[in-house]
Amino acid sequence: MSMTVLKAGLQTSLQGAPYAGHRHLGMPAAGAADCLSLALANFLVGKSFGDIAFEITLTDALFQMSEPSLVAVVGGAEYVRINDKDHPQHQSLRINAGDTLHIGPSRPGCRTYLSVSSAIEAEKLLDGQSTYLAAGLGGYHGRALQNGDAIALSQVSPVSEVERVTPENLRPHYSNNHVLRVTPGPEARKPNDGVLDGLCLSPYTVSARANRMGIALEGNPLGAGKSAEMSSAAVFPGTIQMPPSGQPYLLGPDAQTTGGYPRIAQVIRADRHLIGQLGPGSKVQFVQTTTERATEIHREKLSLLSSWLGQINLW
Amino acid sequence: MLNPTIHICDDWISVTLPDWDSVIAAQHALSSSKYWTESVPGLDSIAVQFDPALIRPAEAAKLILDQLADLRGVTSGSGDTLTIPVCYAAEFAPDRDYIADRLGIAAETLPSWHIMQRHRVAMLGFMPGFAYLDSMDGTPAIGRLDSPRQLVPAGSIGVIGRQSCIYSFDSPGGWPIIGRTPLRLFDPSRKRTALLSAGQNIRFESISKDAFDSWQQEPTP
Repeated sequence: MSMTVLKAGLQTSLQGAPYAGHRHLGMPAAGAADCLSLALANFLVGKSFGDIAFEITLTDALFQMSEPSLVAVVGGAEYVRINDKDHPQHQSLRINAGDTLHIGPSRPGCRTYLSVSSAIEAEKLLDGQSTYLAAGLGGYHGRALQNGDAIALSQVSPVSEVERVTPENLRPHYSNNHVLRVTPGPEARKPNDGVLDGLCLSPYTVSARANRMGIALEGNPLGAGKSAEMSSAAVFPGTIQMPPSGQPYLLGPDAQTTGGYPRIAQVIRADRHLIGQLGPGSKVQFVQTTTERATEIHREKLSLLSSWLGQINLW
Repeated sequence: MLNPTIHICDDWISVTLPDWDSVIAAQHALSSSKYWTESVPGLDSIAVQFDPALIRPAEAAKLILDQLADLRGVTSGSGDTLTIPVCYAAEFAPDRDYIADRLGIAAETLPSWHIMQRHRVAMLGFMPGFAYLDSMDGTPAIGRLDSPRQLVPAGSIGVIGRQSCIYSFDSPGGWPIIGRTPLRLFDPSRKRTALLSAGQNIRFESISKDAFDSWQQEPTP
């Protein structure tokens, strides 16, 4: 049983939960750039929130299934078509042997997740299976999928009987205008005072230099040259660095584990899934909040989601 | 008492420490704590990440300060020195002439120049298992390459200033390359996934091209 990739598009890779507990070895998180869309898609096919799925980036992608299965699509995709017939997102979809599944380009947004009820066979690595592209680890041979790849699937049980539809109020709003809440980073003070105000002053535009490692932003320049040098220190997905150019750089799931640029801000955990939907040209307005408030927002969000998804985590 | 400077984000905390030895001691103490999902040493700081659904930032700050307070008197004192075989043959050392030129020595003497230095692992980063090594002996400044290479093979040893590095995967890179080790720096199938860890002492040993080619990966415990 397999799923054949007829059109892989710009970048489609197998992504699920991030790797955890290995950053001191230089191993980044990897995993779904938009963990909320992944969790919603997985739930629709009866899977756990962190199970691996197909992460499709920006462009459209086309698949063909060798056996009947249950699939679900959640993300920025403009359309979902089974054999050229339109179907909705946010719903369990039955697909028959030989059917083609066409996922439209993410417009607006940047990524779309395709979950299948069958178990996706992928490389087991450390505590997970997500693809870490830069080192060629995990997922499908450590790489983005290519046209003609046949991804092996194994039926866990007879095709799941779950028929689910995501409640309207839990469906993310995909947009090209985002608000991301941040707390100050360790280097937001001393020689860099004021940079956070500058960061939150006006929206930034996502440049073409955007991928799973990080996003170069264009907009209000921040205290260029003020503090270009520091000792290398830990960074995390959602950390906003200030390189010497003064144009902020927002780290993504594949970001390396340490960096030498001032860490001026940190996108709060509750908002980090939105980073996965920042495509070139979209606008981001940063808004400062406190760590206490961030914790409340995170817990409220988890509580709301758990009413539908059961116990989940966001990263 | 370490008297650290602490910075609190909503799911991670960074603590600046007085010196690198305390970073290594802190890493030993914090990495075994159940509260932290990650514990990541930098050069003069350490950061821990936690699950904000379980621990509030203020609680986490209190926990880490308590844990670091207990570090008093603890030193890194990592005893063992790991020997890393390196083949310095020209085909593995594309920047041999550049480095030798900067040092004002003959290219043939580069291996002995590199071997006689004592190194220790400052930290891992950039890629899984990629090691930044500090040389404890003075070395004249060698700069980064003017334009980075698109592909530096795994195992390549780079030298910049008083630092060396070991590439763990084929990757782009701007370090001038002096040789290559046959050892695998990162191997998820091994119990010791990353060969090196911050604080470890390193000695380089020169091996021939034949020895490199026939190198058998030793099972690492």
